[in-house]
Amino acid sequence: MSEATLARAAPTPAAIRPRRRPSRDFLLGAGTLVAFVLAWKLVHLSRLFPPWAFPAPEQVLGAFVKTLESGELLKNTWASVARQIVGVVLAALVGIPGGLLLGASRDFRAALLPFCRMIYPIPGIAWIPLAILWFGIGFKSTVFVIFFTGIWPILFNTMAGVTALDGQYTDVARVYLAPRMFYVRKVLVPGSLPFIITGIRLTYGVGWRVIVGAEMISSITGLGFMIDDARWQLRPDVMVAGMITIAMIGWVMENWAFDWLERVTIERWGMKSQPR
Amino acid sequence: MVQIEALSKRYAAGGSDILALSGISATIGEGEFVCLLGPSGCGKSTLLKIVAGLIPASAGTISIAGRVVTAPGPDRAMVFQDYALFPWMTVAENAEFGLAARGVAPARRAAASAELLKAVGLGEFAAKYPHHLSGGMKQRVSIARALAVDPVLLLMDEPFGALDAQTRFVMQQELLRIWRAYRKTVLFVTHSIEEALYLGDRVLVMTARPGRIKAEIPVASARPRDIGSVEFARLRAQTLELLSEEIARSMEQEATAAVTS
Repeated sequence: MSEATLARAAPTPAAIRPRRRPSRDFLLGAGTLVAFVLAWKLVHLSRLFPPWAFPAPEQVLGAFVKTLESGELLKNTWASVARQIVGVVLAALVGIPGGLLLGASRDFRAALLPFCRMIYPIPGIAWIPLAILWFGIGFKSTVFVIFFTGIWPILFNTMAGVTALDGQYTDVARVYLAPRMFYVRKVLVPGSLPFIITGIRLTYGVGWRVIVGAEMISSITGLGFMIDDARWQLRPDVMVAGMITIAMIGWVMENWAFDWLERVTIERWGMKSQPR
Repeated sequence: MVQIEALSKRYAAGGSDILALSGISATIGEGEFVCLLGPSGCGKSTLLKIVAGLIPASAGTISIAGRVVTAPGPDRAMVFQDYALFPWMTVAENAEFGLAARGVAPARRAAASAELLKAVGLGEFAAKYPHHLSGGMKQRVSIARALAVDPVLLLMDEPFGALDAQTRFVMQQELLRIWRAYRKTVLFVTHSIEEALYLGDRVLVMTARPGRIKAEIPVASARPRDIGSVEFARLRAQTLELLSEEIARSMEQEATAAVTS
């Protein structure tokens, strides 16, 4: 069977990926980072800003070590990450089924979409005062804000995924007499997964961006609180250490968690190139 | 036995009423291989979808073994032109789709798919995903999926239309082998005269829109057929003559539609 052997001999995408280029890309990326730190140091030496408002790179590193040793950094990081996870999971738990319904039913779209489009432009931060009145200061109000900011990307993306699903898949499901829930589980959800993953990625991103603002106003823990609190203590080194922590956690999630999720699902299924 | 009686299909498009199929009647005997041949846009795929129960007819009936059918049922399975495999399922899961939808136990499903994938020459590919397969292999999976539900009638909508000529010829021979082994009644849509005459016990030639059955050509010669034979050439000439009028009319219609739109 010649066509079989042909297909088997064809290299998989992973094998095609060039081996040497990433190291060159890596050097260029790392070079920019080093140049940035050098420029930072030079600005610090130039006394363009007063030293109490502009920390040197090594001072930030010192603040890192100190807050790490005192446990302050880990405690606040964990507080932020826990709120973020709960908020994103809640947004996904409501947003994915909601998006499936909106995508699958014309009536649902007609009934709910105008309303969603109306409250969607309200920035998450604008919910904070109300959230404090409802839930008090701390965990619940922050989670509420992340939820309300994060639900839209996952909701709208899931809906788009369902409406973009190839009509032929539905024909196959009907010809082979798939019951409704079987169709949802085996066809609708996996078929919309490229869009759903993009939605979760965006939800995670906007949530992580809003959490700091929320914690500055309505919390006494978390990285946002730590940065804001450092202002009162005139510790710009701690502020920057907090900011870098935020950047690193965001980077790790983007490059490891979500890429991994894509690798074990849509990349494995050869569906990667569809959206995005 | 499959019976199509006085079947018509109209649909509304852009404010006007279009008659896609008109007064189609045909009978397909048990175990018979019938090819539906026509110019593009003649409604042959529409007819197949109506038989599948995917779209309703405007008038007329379809009955299978004496029972009138209007919706998809366990007596029919379909092989689609562009395979329509689910990329998120392995080859085995795709082949088992119809059985899983019917709630057949996993062990029995696995046994059935293992046997069928072996029958279509894909025994070693059960755990692969469709995007690792060539077009011909994907269509084998699609055929295995259709056979798995043990239908009375196998509907095939230009299944080899997207394949290159060599793979196509291999697949045609494969299909005949499978058809003999599993003794299914087949209704096979194609726009290729050679394919229709190579495969079918009978070829139904359709007219340009509105689609009607223009002629019925029985192909008596024994399989495997010799496409180089005098008999085959004579049939091909005869069919081509019937079809070319319709192709001309179909192209005229398309030109008019392009001008008016």
